[in-house]
Amino acid sequence: MTRVRGWLADGARGLVWYLREASGETAYERYVAHELVVHPGRPVLDRRTFERRRQDDRTVHARCC
Amino acid sequence: MSTTAPPPTTTASRPTDPDPPNRARQVVVWTLVSVVAAVCWGVIALVRDEQISAIWLLGAALGSYAIAYRFYARFIAKTVLEVDDTRATPAERNGDGTDFEPTDRRVLFGHHFAAIAGAGPLVGPVLAAQMGYLPGTIWIIVGVIVAGAVQDMVVLFLSMRRDGKSLGQMAREEIGPVGGAAALIAVFSIMIILLAVLALVVVNAMAESPWATFSIAMTVPIALFMGVYLRVLRPGRVLETTAIGVTLLLLALVGGGWVESSGLAETFTLSKETLVLCLVVYGFVASVLPVWLLLTPRDYLSTFMKIGTIGLLAVGLLLARPLLQNESVTEFASNGAGPVFAGSLFPFVFITIACGALSGFHALIASGTTPKMIEKESQVRLIGYGGMLAESFVAISAIIAASIIDPGLYYAINSPASLMGDTLQSASEAVANLGFSITPDQLASAAAAVEESTLVSRTGGAPTLAVGMSQIFSEAFGGGGRAFWYHFAIMFEALFILTTVDAGTRVGRFMLQDTLGNVWKPMRNVSWKPGVWICSAVVVGGWGYFLYVGVTDPLGGINQLFPLFGIANQLLAAIALTVATTLLIKHGKLRWAWVPGVPLAWDAVVTLTASWQKVFSDDPVLGFFAQRDKYATALDADQVLPPATDLDGMRQIVTNTTVDGVLAAFFAILVVVVIADAARVCVKALRDPDSVATTEVPYVRSTLVAPAGLVPTKAEKRAMAEAGAGGPGGSS
Repeated sequence: MTRVRGWLADGARGLVWYLREASGETAYERYVAHELVVHPGRPVLDRRTFERRRQDDRTVHARCC
Repeated sequence: MSTTAPPPTTTASRPTDPDPPNRARQVVVWTLVSVVAAVCWGVIALVRDEQISAIWLLGAALGSYAIAYRFYARFIAKTVLEVDDTRATPAERNGDGTDFEPTDRRVLFGHHFAAIAGAGPLVGPVLAAQMGYLPGTIWIIVGVIVAGAVQDMVVLFLSMRRDGKSLGQMAREEIGPVGGAAALIAVFSIMIILLAVLALVVVNAMAESPWATFSIAMTVPIALFMGVYLRVLRPGRVLETTAIGVTLLLLALVGGGWVESSGLAETFTLSKETLVLCLVVYGFVASVLPVWLLLTPRDYLSTFMKIGTIGLLAVGLLLARPLLQNESVTEFASNGAGPVFAGSLFPFVFITIACGALSGFHALIASGTTPKMIEKESQVRLIGYGGMLAESFVAISAIIAASIIDPGLYYAINSPASLMGDTLQSASEAVANLGFSITPDQLASAAAAVEESTLVSRTGGAPTLAVGMSQIFSEAFGGGGRAFWYHFAIMFEALFILTTVDAGTRVGRFMLQDTLGNVWKPMRNVSWKPGVWICSAVVVGGWGYFLYVGVTDPLGGINQLFPLFGIANQLLAAIALTVATTLLIKHGKLRWAWVPGVPLAWDAVVTLTASWQKVFSDDPVLGFFAQRDKYATALDADQVLPPATDLDGMRQIVTNTTVDGVLAAFFAILVVVVIADAARVCVKALRDPDSVATTEVPYVRSTLVAPAGLVPTKAEKRAMAEAGAGGPGGSS
């Protein structure tokens, strides 16, 4: 029983992780982590500015049929 | 310029294969998989004159995919391409956080799949069901294994070794300016035809249906709301925004049913011509608005709906296990007189089913975005080959959905209006003339079951698929709801077709701006408004023209335009496979050139035969110019030939067949030019290997640690733990 519950919990955690990664929700977290490691001391953009820049930089790609 | 770079010590540094103790277990597992696949194929092959369950088709498909992925894709990766995980990918070397970013293989698989799979694998198989379920099924499964998935994987690999260069760039740099120019023209014209045909599918599904029109129209304000929400209120909260959007979408769907039975029904009952105008205006506005306002939120919505519905369909098929009503091979396969599209099994099944078996358009996605995000070279197998197998599975589901509905109904839905006449009685008689049967009452009750005014001549594939899906879903999940499921399926298909139209118009505009920019500089500037507007108008005008022609053509738009779309798509595949074959030869791998070379030969034969028949056939049903002659001669004598009803209709047919015939010939000439130019380069490479340069980026050692396949092996897990790399929840 506890084993099944453990699997379900793992599955749910995995799904949330997947959806957050695939939808790009984690882009900001990754950016902050990256900045702290690569450019420590440099001011980090707030989320609103970051997301706005990310949206504006987005290139449109063809989708197939 | 360096010539063929010697492969760096791959054998020494390649990680060893999974632990040896697994070997016995692997043999047992793969023997079982082979037996299951063989049994399913056996049932499909041997059972005649009685209905078989769709489950055998699914088993044959999944079993064959598994074997192909395990053995053939692995052989291509290790032996043909010599993927090298010690070599840094463009994402690792150039990682800039925007275009180039190492992305988890499972996430990238999702992105890649969402970009390649759309309406194509749903529409083509539905139309090809007129030949019976067997030819389409065999082509989808065999085609994907030896052609489609190979093309996607090899192009992905080659582009990855060149910092994500596009197919057009590779053709220009590796073959030459002539081949490159031909490839560029091909890509642009295919885009136009593709958008027109897809828009035609939507128009045919929405025309005279207030429910569908209302719910699809509502997707625009919903997407705008999501765009503003994501931009202003909650930046970056994509999942929350999408959840709100999906909820609103389902409300719009339910609301559509209410609109249909209310006084508003009239307002949302639009003719095809009006819908064309709406779509053209929409396409233009959508392509000049900022991306974040409409396109991005729409993309989230359609991706979510697409993956969700495809998953639901797979579950539904397993639960419902429907029997196939379609014949295995119909007589239209040999006599070529089918009402859905003209021509016999060879070559037209292979033209009609492009996406799902072999789709040239994928080469544009496999070169460009995906290669810039891949973490490890060996992942081309999962993402390129595996992604295409997943699309092929969608195509199998579609051919099943079209084959479980009553054949009489199938032909009533898919035959052009000119054949079916104006009444249910005339439709019933026309179906009987085709050799199938359905009574006027049955036609009326089939339409009533999904709350549509009629299902007769609802061509384009979407209504057929929706009827099939509504049967599967109501059977699998119980509780009827046929009408809801029907409109759910229509909305789901329309949603991502409109996303393709948005994105395609924009990409077409960029291509045009870039090309015109060579002649006149200001055109290239993407923020110069007049340039943007002119180029958008040209692209929208291009597909809008074919769309309008499609809905007004007395001969039936799908019937006339779908073969052109198929030929164009398979032509692009020929170009992609030509680039792949040429590059293998340039890299000194003539021995393995057959891997893309055999599908190239097959594809060239199919495409050129189809173009030849469409251009030179004496049969006015099949050949565009024979059609033109027939109607032009009658027109000179002031005669009106059916299906035209007046002289204007006659003139229209003469113009359309001329345009279509010229295009078919033009596409064929482009393939021949590219293949001839590539052959010249191959001969040169074989005579004097040092005379040809390739643009492969030199070797850089990789420091990233990531698994090759979907499930990490023990050795990979150990390596990841040592490097501290995360997985699901690993970093949190």
